[in-house]
Amino acid sequence: MMDVFANIGLGLSVAATFQNLAYCMLGTLLGTIVGVLPGIGPVTTVAMLLPISFTLEPTSALIMMAGIYYGAQYGGSTTAILINIPGEPSSVVTSLDGYQMARQGRAGPALGIAALGSFFAGCVATFVIAFGAPPLAKLALQFGPAEYFSLMLCGLVAAIVLARGSVIKAIAMVVLGLIFGLAGSDVNSGIRRFTFGFQGLADGIEFVALSMAIYGVSEVAINLEKKDEEVGVVSTVGSVWPSFADIRYCMPSILRGTALGSVLGVLPGGGALLAAFSAYTLEKKVAKHPRRFGEGDIRGVAAPESANNAGAQTSFIPMLTLGIPSNPTMALMIGALMVHGITPGPRVLIDRPDLFWGVVASMWIGNLMLVVLNLPMVGIWVRLLRMPYRMMFPAIVGFCCVGTYTINGNVTDIAVMAFFTIFGYLCLKLDCEPAPLILGFVLGPMMEENLRRALLISRGDPTIFVNAPISLTFLVAAALLLLIVAAPAIRARREEALAE
Amino acid sequence: MHIRAPKDFWSGLMFLAFAAVTLVTSSGYSMGRGGRMGPGYFPTLLGAVLVLLGLILVVRSLATEGEAIQRIEMRPLSILTLCVILFGVMIQPLGLVIALTVTTFIAAFAGPDVRLKEAALLSTGLTLIATIIFVFALRLPLPIWPNL
Repeated sequence: MMDVFANIGLGLSVAATFQNLAYCMLGTLLGTIVGVLPGIGPVTTVAMLLPISFTLEPTSALIMMAGIYYGAQYGGSTTAILINIPGEPSSVVTSLDGYQMARQGRAGPALGIAALGSFFAGCVATFVIAFGAPPLAKLALQFGPAEYFSLMLCGLVAAIVLARGSVIKAIAMVVLGLIFGLAGSDVNSGIRRFTFGFQGLADGIEFVALSMAIYGVSEVAINLEKKDEEVGVVSTVGSVWPSFADIRYCMPSILRGTALGSVLGVLPGGGALLAAFSAYTLEKKVAKHPRRFGEGDIRGVAAPESANNAGAQTSFIPMLTLGIPSNPTMALMIGALMVHGITPGPRVLIDRPDLFWGVVASMWIGNLMLVVLNLPMVGIWVRLLRMPYRMMFPAIVGFCCVGTYTINGNVTDIAVMAFFTIFGYLCLKLDCEPAPLILGFVLGPMMEENLRRALLISRGDPTIFVNAPISLTFLVAAALLLLIVAAPAIRARREEALAE
Repeated sequence: MHIRAPKDFWSGLMFLAFAAVTLVTSSGYSMGRGGRMGPGYFPTLLGAVLVLLGLILVVRSLATEGEAIQRIEMRPLSILTLCVILFGVMIQPLGLVIALTVTTFIAAFAGPDVRLKEAALLSTGLTLIATIIFVFALRLPLPIWPNL
């Protein structure tokens, strides 16, 4: 117990230096801006800023990137409430009740409760990380290759289960991601795999090129096909402070949203988006008058906003303690840390406590900054939204190109980017979610390495995965998850058959 | 034979194509034995799983109804891909200023309404900002001008 407070103290001393405060603020501001602007999300922004992070100290780099991620959750809700355009996918549910509130002249309280709920959730999530991460890291230190392999398998299964749309497509995307991840020199044999004779592919497919192509350029191509949507305008915001009655009415929703978001954020494939959707569904289920949802119920704003912020923050837990990303943004942060020679995993907590606790403490400071800075600046954010997309997308494409090139100064990376632009576009058109692919891509080499080592230890005996208790637990969890996802599908099909 | 779920059908074919490339390429790598996995072991395993998944998608798309694919507009995608390729071709011989100005200017044509003056101004401004940020502020090793 005392340890935690001593550690938070250490974290605060790191996070509160002038330099880190400045990067924290820069990150949250940038995050809010990308959250407000539709068509550009945290993944693209973090990817575009990756070259900048190389010149920073790793702690400052991570503080800034974290700020972008949770800042985007705030920004997205602002536009969702005021003009019914969610800047971020995780704010889609907020617009359901938030925009209705704005039309009824209650935009102020909606914005206020979103900010307060997020702040509360952010504080709780910071403590969840502070208390939850160290024991998890301690446990992870005992993991051998078999445990790691099973853990990653379990993580990938979770990502599949949580992906939207077809399960088979999600599994196929994970497998394809794993294959893409294997390209380049094989560590053990030195053989170059899947390079097709290209010298530039010897180090594998550059992750930044892949993510910039899919989340940057392909997204732009898809966005340009959409017809311009009508932008509604809300003239008055009024006082952003919700009444005491509002707060009391929302408190249970905020608590439920925070709890749900904290749990879902940790799961691979989870994070802010899933947290927000689930929280809204839960509220509708527990409410006495569920009909009010969708017509401007303030609880419909409070719960998902708390949940997405909590989820955004707790998704740092698996990244920092196990080295396993739960979503594409976290995968990019792993990439950034690797460039600085830090391998995310249980050792980070022991070797670099300043980094770990500094980042955790900065999240709390960042959340405070967001409340203090953002509410008064709502007017500026709305004006920013009026910027036409035709002025934004050439900038996105240009910065993606420059960003990718600066990683290695390698033209092959640009060619890779062109290839994955077309690939990403096809995937989006065919309803194949890119997130499972990205996770597979990052985990591919690690999974092969751990599978290889585990089988080396057991002399080729595959029962090693079932004999180790921790490994078995992960495998059982993976199997259960698959069963859960299979069950409703079976049920739905049976119902269809019965209806006929 | 009638394709009932075009999205599933074509994604199945896409996965099968990638699986075929994977299997053919990794047949050139040694498989090793269980205890000493060779470089071909894991990719072959993954390729086989992907074949299975692709087949399921294709077969299922013939049996059950599914969504149609939305119209594919060639213009935005082809112009944007061209931009990326052009940037790659130009960056080393011509430097950041020329490469980025051309790339962002051409990118503007991917949109539904192009305003020449605005696009020219925008690409100049963006190049200026990018040069200041990446080269002068961050000191990243980027060629600025043509390498003569």
